[in-house]
Amino acid sequence: MATPNAHYGFAERWLPRLVLAPSFFLTLVFLYGFIAWNGYLSFTESRLLPNYEWAGLVQYQALFENERWWVAVRNLGIFAVLFIGGAMAIGITLAILLDQKVRGEGAIRTIYLYPMALSFVVTGTAWKWMLNPGLGLEKLMHDWGFTSFTFDWLVNSDMSIYTVVIAGLWQSSGFVMALFLAGLRGVDDSIIKAAQIDGASLPRIYWKIILPALRPVVFSTLMILSHIAIKSFDLVMALTGGGPGFSSDLPATFMYSMAFTRGQTGLGAASAMMMLATVAAIVVPYLYSELRKDQHG
Amino acid sequence: MGALAIKNVTKSFGDTHILKGINIDIEAGEFLILVGPSGCGKSTLMNIIAGLESPTSGEVCIADRIVNEVAPKDRDIAMVFQSYALYPTMNVRQNIAFGMETRGVPKAEQNEVIARVAKMLQIDHLLDRKPSALSGGQRQRVAMGRALARNPKLFLFDEPLSNLDAKLRVEMRVEIKQLHQRLKTTIVYVTHDQIEAMTLGDKIAVMKDGVIQQFGSPEDIYERPANLFVAGFIGSPSMNFLPCHLVEQNGQVGVTLQGVEAPKFIALQDRAGLKERVGQKVILGVRPEQWDVENTPDALVCKVKITEPTGPDTMIYSEVNGVEMIARVHPRAASGPGTTLPLVLDVKKAVLFDPETELRIA
Ligand SMILES: Nc1ncnc2c1ncn2[C@@H]1O[C@H](COP(=O)(O)OP(=O)(O)OP(=O)(O)O)[C@@H](O)[C@H]1O
Ligand SMILES: [Mg+2]
Repeated sequence: MATPNAHYGFAERWLPRLVLAPSFFLTLVFLYGFIAWNGYLSFTESRLLPNYEWAGLVQYQALFENERWWVAVRNLGIFAVLFIGGAMAIGITLAILLDQKVRGEGAIRTIYLYPMALSFVVTGTAWKWMLNPGLGLEKLMHDWGFTSFTFDWLVNSDMSIYTVVIAGLWQSSGFVMALFLAGLRGVDDSIIKAAQIDGASLPRIYWKIILPALRPVVFSTLMILSHIAIKSFDLVMALTGGGPGFSSDLPATFMYSMAFTRGQTGLGAASAMMMLATVAAIVVPYLYSELRKDQHG
Repeated sequence: MGALAIKNVTKSFGDTHILKGINIDIEAGEFLILVGPSGCGKSTLMNIIAGLESPTSGEVCIADRIVNEVAPKDRDIAMVFQSYALYPTMNVRQNIAFGMETRGVPKAEQNEVIARVAKMLQIDHLLDRKPSALSGGQRQRVAMGRALARNPKLFLFDEPLSNLDAKLRVEMRVEIKQLHQRLKTTIVYVTHDQIEAMTLGDKIAVMKDGVIQQFGSPEDIYERPANLFVAGFIGSPSMNFLPCHLVEQNGQVGVTLQGVEAPKFIALQDRAGLKERVGQKVILGVRPEQWDVENTPDALVCKVKITEPTGPDTMIYSEVNGVEMIARVHPRAASGPGTTLPLVLDVKKAVLFDPETELRIA
């Protein structure tokens, strides 16, 4: 009796580990290994090629004295606030409107959700054409006779980051809408009815009763949007290429041009570490609170 | 003064007709019970009265005012929903206070009302809990509390006691009855429970498939059911339906019933319209308590198949005219399975139905 049981226990114990081992190993090397390597490089004077001589914090010092880095950080601030706030506001509004039992809801939902199916590169390119003063919106308006119309944000270094915001909103708002629509559908209809009898107006019902009940959806959406914002790279590359000049740089594009086109590997590594720290600052407290909730039941 | 009048209300969702011409009229202060099998449209009718759904056709009047175009909040009603419909992120206190806040009731008054309602419903100790931390019965009481925090013209209760345990249910039933006697507010009350229907209602509307089968006082419904459905639906155990032929003997119209001995003629005295039907098939409706054990020559001797003691009474299952029949008798008069029992029918209370139309004929 004891022997077969022990055999069974052996397979039971080792089979899952065996199956998981390759992906565990790959993750370990290619994710955490490279993070560690990158972390080390950020403390060296690496330029075009890696150099493993310890140099302390010089790269970080250089980074913090670099004007272009601060432009990128400021842009990320503008982009993140407007992109996350805007996508949430537009998405929630669309979801609430769609939840009012409108006709043709399926079709409308698909239309709004469709941009999500495109890659940021396609979105960026399409919006580059549309916002290009010589090709897109401005030209159209001029052709229609509104010759005083100007919309040159794409080539205006004060405004170029806002074109990134516009394209990002266009791409992601529908996705936020879909998340919230699913959440709204899960809310018991009679709760809304009860609130109507209690005399609450529709905005008050949503603001005081429904949205608080959707807190988990709000949090997951915030998490998804903030990490899209921080790692935003392809959208900027396709839309503005970081320009004019470096006026629409984000930390990700900054890192890319330092590390891969300007031979400043150490500086690029340092900026990558800063981005990692930002993501960690958002994700770790979230994970912590979620895990703690699990433990407490 | 008419408190609630429903005139020819119909409701369809696309091609499905849920309500097919509902007519109800009740006076101020009356307690209306809606009963009917699941899915017959009771909640739909409640929603229409509340203004949460609009009728496909017809009129709803509350306090002599046509309210078809009036928003729910302006109809001066309070409602308890079948699914409780508590606000999930608010605690019990906030749930009860929400409506008052919306209406701008001063804080001090709100607290007073909450304290009063909580005491009445025995939920004082739950005031700071979220709905998710309450049992079904506790949620139901909170939902009641939310409605009782108002002083409306019309209360709408959609099965408010269905999830309570037997004891609490009885307590709440009495509580609701007292509340109604004290406030004299008009109440529309949906229930599946016979006893609730009979004890609480001034008027009962029995519904089936979106049609009101009968609308009347509890006594009417119980003693003079309009058709087989109402007769079978109200009362527990339900009325016995014994198939018979109308015959005439010695100048008297009656039916014959057969237990284990030779058929017995039962004269149905002075009922209009029976003479013309002699020779036709009818269904004799007899409630279980209309039988008595009595050893007389007129008694119908029945064979006891099963006995079911319920405490105060014993249910006797036997067979009459080829169908199962239940008699409710005194426990001391009952005898065990396999024995025979002489049963006497209270003829005056028995009713007759036409088997074709299913309507009561006498
Ligand atoms: N929005 C809707 N669309 C289509 N059909 C509906 C809708 N709402 C209700 N129905 C149908 O209407 C019928 C009556 O529903 P209702 O909720 O009024 O029944 P009920 O008498 O309250 O039943 P119960 O005793 O189970 O609560 C049901 O067959 C239901 O499926
Ligand atoms: Mg119902």
